[in-house]
Amino acid sequence: MKKFDRKKSTYLYIFYVWNRANLVGESVASYSNVLLMFGFAVVAIAPALLISRMISPENKKRPNPVKGLPMECGQVPSGAGRTHFMMQYYAYVLMFVIFDVMAIFLYAWGSTILDMPRTATLPIIAFLGIMFAAMAFALYQSKRKNIW
Amino acid sequence: MSVIAPKFRLAYFLKAIIDNVFWIIILVALIGIPAIQIGLFYGDLPVIEGELLTAFLAFTWLFNPAMALPLVKSLIYSDLFRIAAFPGFGFAALIAAGTIFVERKMLAKLQLRVGPFYCGKIEGILQLAGDGLKLISKEIIIPAKADKPIFWVAPVLFVATAAAFVSLIPVAPGGWVVADLDVGLLAVFAVIGFFPIITVLSAWSANSKYPFIGGIRALHQMVSFEIPLILSLLGVVILTGTLNLSEIVESQSNFPWIIFMPIGAIVFFTAMLAELERIPFDLPEAESEIVAGWLTEFSGMMYGLVQLGSYVKLYAFAALFVVIFLGGWTGPVFWPPLDEQVITTGLEIPSYTGDPFLTISTPGLPLFDADPNEWILQKQGELQYTTGQLLISGVIWFVLKTVAVIFFILLPRGVFPRIRIDMLLHIGWYKLIGLSFVNIFIALGLLYTGILGPGGIL
Repeated sequence: MKKFDRKKSTYLYIFYVWNRANLVGESVASYSNVLLMFGFAVVAIAPALLISRMISPENKKRPNPVKGLPMECGQVPSGAGRTHFMMQYYAYVLMFVIFDVMAIFLYAWGSTILDMPRTATLPIIAFLGIMFAAMAFALYQSKRKNIW
Repeated sequence: MSVIAPKFRLAYFLKAIIDNVFWIIILVALIGIPAIQIGLFYGDLPVIEGELLTAFLAFTWLFNPAMALPLVKSLIYSDLFRIAAFPGFGFAALIAAGTIFVERKMLAKLQLRVGPFYCGKIEGILQLAGDGLKLISKEIIIPAKADKPIFWVAPVLFVATAAAFVSLIPVAPGGWVVADLDVGLLAVFAVIGFFPIITVLSAWSANSKYPFIGGIRALHQMVSFEIPLILSLLGVVILTGTLNLSEIVESQSNFPWIIFMPIGAIVFFTAMLAELERIPFDLPEAESEIVAGWLTEFSGMMYGLVQLGSYVKLYAFAALFVVIFLGGWTGPVFWPPLDEQVITTGLEIPSYTGDPFLTISTPGLPLFDADPNEWILQKQGELQYTTGQLLISGVIWFVLKTVAVIFFILLPRGVFPRIRIDMLLHIGWYKLIGLSFVNIFIALGLLYTGILGPGGIL
């Protein structure tokens, strides 16, 4: 049996991490174009607001306070705009927090399925079953208890 | 009828002009020239035909036809051109503007109206420019107790996020995409996740009731339909084994995925309509219930920017549908392979009688010519089409498919009523998620019965 060379394997591991670090840096650099596009849109769009601000008519000497009221279909607004509110369908939002993450986890499996042995699919199908059953149970319970 | 202002004095007029010129010179000297110099310091200058491009050379070559072509080519293959013009912002904004006009005309025809008619000689074609001028010259009114910074920033963020979405879409073969990511599809989901946040932020910051109701509705709707949206694309990822959008397109060179996964395509299309807030799912801006939903307090150019952002988003979603289900740029080239001479210099067809005045000469398309090696390969018969010809064909196919999908997104607006919010959530959670699970199992079945995938029949 070949003796395990701890020192050599450490070097190999450092080399591996070093290489991987470079690759991570490169892959992060490819995201910079998304940010550049985001920044370009901001730079291209912000002048529209500035120009609009410059050329639009606005009576600064006699400002009209009625203009600053929130829109309530011509009525005098009653109460504050941000009040206590009834958060309807809250159960769906709670379910989203769980199932969105689970759906994204499935992509880690889906993008590597061609490299994996076929037996690895069975646990994932069990996972899908648990996910689907949990979703069905949550929907059933929330409907039965009428918690919308 | 307009007259010159009654207090007009020539001296005041001249003074105004001189003032403006003075300020322009000051601003250029203090901001423009340093900005250009900093840009030149950090930016990479292209090397054209063995010479580093300087500003002097660029101005000289602009007037030299032999050198202007390589100059323009080097600009086209730069990152800035991709971001600003072709697969990026300019292209998307152009398609978005076309979509707005076509939507108005098409809805009018569906409802037996004429639509925009007077602005511009032909069928109101200048209506969009007129609307833009109107919006930019209107006063921007903000509610007095609004959270001003967030309220100002929200439309800009909306457009910029839509642009970031556009940057991930591959448009033509040969890497014509702004950001070619290994995990492009996950990046798309990440960008889509920002839209409800912007909507809720702007709705909450307006300090008004109708925007707030609209923002809560938008939150529910976008949040509920994100899960079917994500799950319906998993089938394609299972069969291609990649998350890179360009590779997903290349995997469809023989057949588009919509043939094998129509259920996934339908679920994705429905979720897409909901994410875009379009009828029948336009509850966040239901104009007959809650004035204009989360857009109620936006006025003037801010409203225009949100509209621009939502149509850029519409283009991006339609393009994503094309890329994933309809095969992107793949499609038969509908012209015979062109000769080198046709593309590079143009043909000269001498007249039958030999009369020099009747000689026909066609212009070439030297902007799209390919590598000289490719011309040799094409002559030998090893390569049917060169890269330049495939590029033109790919762009044509992509735009045709995208326009078709946009048409199907616009069509329900003239046909369907708006649905209630509990029905909407019911559709999203009970039906679409179940259907997307069915789609995943169809994909697994196709893979494991050996029909598709590596070593499959097809």
